[in-house]
Amino acid sequence: MIAKFEKVSLAYDAGRDILSALDFNLEEGEFVFLTGPSGAGKTSLLKLLYLALRPTSGRVMLFGEDVTAAPRRALPNLRRRIGVVFQEFRLLDHLTAFENVALPMKVAGVNQGQYREDVRELLNWVGLADRVDARPPTLSGGEKQRIALARALVAKPDLILADEPTGNVDPAMGEKIMKLFIELNKLGAAVVVATHDISLIEALGKPMLRLEGGRLSDASRPAVRKGRRS
Amino acid sequence: MKTAVIAKRFSADEETKAGRATLRRQSLLGRFRAEPLLPEAGAGGAPLTAAIGVMSFLAAIALAGLLLILAASQEWTSELERGVTIQIKGADAAEIAAGAAAAMKVVQSTEGVVEARLLTREETERLLEPWLGKGNVGEYLNVPALIEAQLSDELRENLGPLEAQLKAAAAGAVLDDHKRWRDRVFAAARSGQALAAAVFALIMVAAGAIAAFAARAGLAANSEVVSILHLVGATDDFIANEVQRRFLVLAVRGSLAGLLLAALVAGLVVFGFRAAGGAGYFLPEIRMGPGAFAILLIVPVALCLVTAVTARLTVLKALSREM
Repeated sequence: MIAKFEKVSLAYDAGRDILSALDFNLEEGEFVFLTGPSGAGKTSLLKLLYLALRPTSGRVMLFGEDVTAAPRRALPNLRRRIGVVFQEFRLLDHLTAFENVALPMKVAGVNQGQYREDVRELLNWVGLADRVDARPPTLSGGEKQRIALARALVAKPDLILADEPTGNVDPAMGEKIMKLFIELNKLGAAVVVATHDISLIEALGKPMLRLEGGRLSDASRPAVRKGRRS
Repeated sequence: MKTAVIAKRFSADEETKAGRATLRRQSLLGRFRAEPLLPEAGAGGAPLTAAIGVMSFLAAIALAGLLLILAASQEWTSELERGVTIQIKGADAAEIAAGAAAAMKVVQSTEGVVEARLLTREETERLLEPWLGKGNVGEYLNVPALIEAQLSDELRENLGPLEAQLKAAAAGAVLDDHKRWRDRVFAAARSGQALAAAVFALIMVAAGAIAAFAARAGLAANSEVVSILHLVGATDDFIANEVQRRFLVLAVRGSLAGLLLAALVAGLVVFGFRAAGGAGYFLPEIRMGPGAFAILLIVPVALCLVTAVTARLTVLKALSREM
């Protein structure tokens, strides 16, 4: 099992619940779309999944470990198994495109010789082979998004989380990215894509989790809401 | 490259999964070779280098002062320790000369006196020059005669009989073993050393406080960078290493610059002291040999250690409060 949410609620600064009593499982090799209106809690749910937040109540299991109260020292190893494409990219402006993509490998202590080719390959694949030394402030939104995608994939994650990954790229690149996610999913990675793009969800025909008012209100896999896989 | 091919390349195979089981650590050398992950502006930069430079200058001056006091007091007291001075006063030059001759006879016949010498009037007058000026000691002044004597340790331990014999031979003879003077010099030197050591310690505390403040400010300024590093799997140690490395580089730059300036100033002071003829009968010579300069290297080493370790501990403490 990749992730298991048990009655998970989340509130910021003791305010109202952003997420309320969520129950769902994410199995290995699963591909799920996460959708819902703005402010429904999609990004918050992703933050719980990529360990940027801990739930206010309930229990979150990731890769078989209870991360609700896990010590800080246990988190880096879990985070290295997750690749995240942030909606706002979150690149480091003072590093080059190459260095940004290589970041997960560098923090894991891998020698550059072991990942140099991988990084170049990914940058080539996302069409930025000629921008390896460019820094994010000089890049367009679409280029930044592609660098963020390459960074998310470079460490070969078991779980890929993407927040509106096609929002800033042209349709052709968007289709290419989704195809890559599907291929990676076929090879075993679990994928969660948060998006407003209903046409994308319909085109791919993958299961969908719908968040509304912090609750899983509707889904194309009803059993998921009850904590079982459909 | 086709999507399927790139997907295969970047899917988590068994080898990748097995490799994740243990946290890998980069070698220390590797870390220093690598490009910094924290932006230049965030870690204090030039202001921190300048502050450490000033700290280094002050600490080096304090340490140099301590070394000079130590060397001077040792030289002074070792000179005084070896001998005694016998002063023979009298109503006139004839009485002084007679007393000096009698005292000299006593001294030379005493067992344990290694060497004894009656200072000439010229030598005695020269001793008074710092107070009276050159050529101002006229014939009318009854300058006491002085005998310098080197004694064996046994005799130094028991000066009573010699003193009594001298009094008997010459009523105006006074034996001075310099003990009171030596004790005063020691006390003054100890106070000077304690003051210099306290200043040195305070400077280290101040350097630590500045490093802690700069590390916290740097962390706050780079909170987004730190957050991203965490999200891609960085440990607190990794981030602390980055900050520590940055602070170490700044501390090395600043402390060496401060030390060089302090060495220059100390060299000028010593040179100036000598050129002005400061050393003489009253003050010992001030010396700053290569050994003393080598000891001053303690300053950059201590400052770098204090700065880097404080920055590291500050960062680790701050990060421990995060999720």
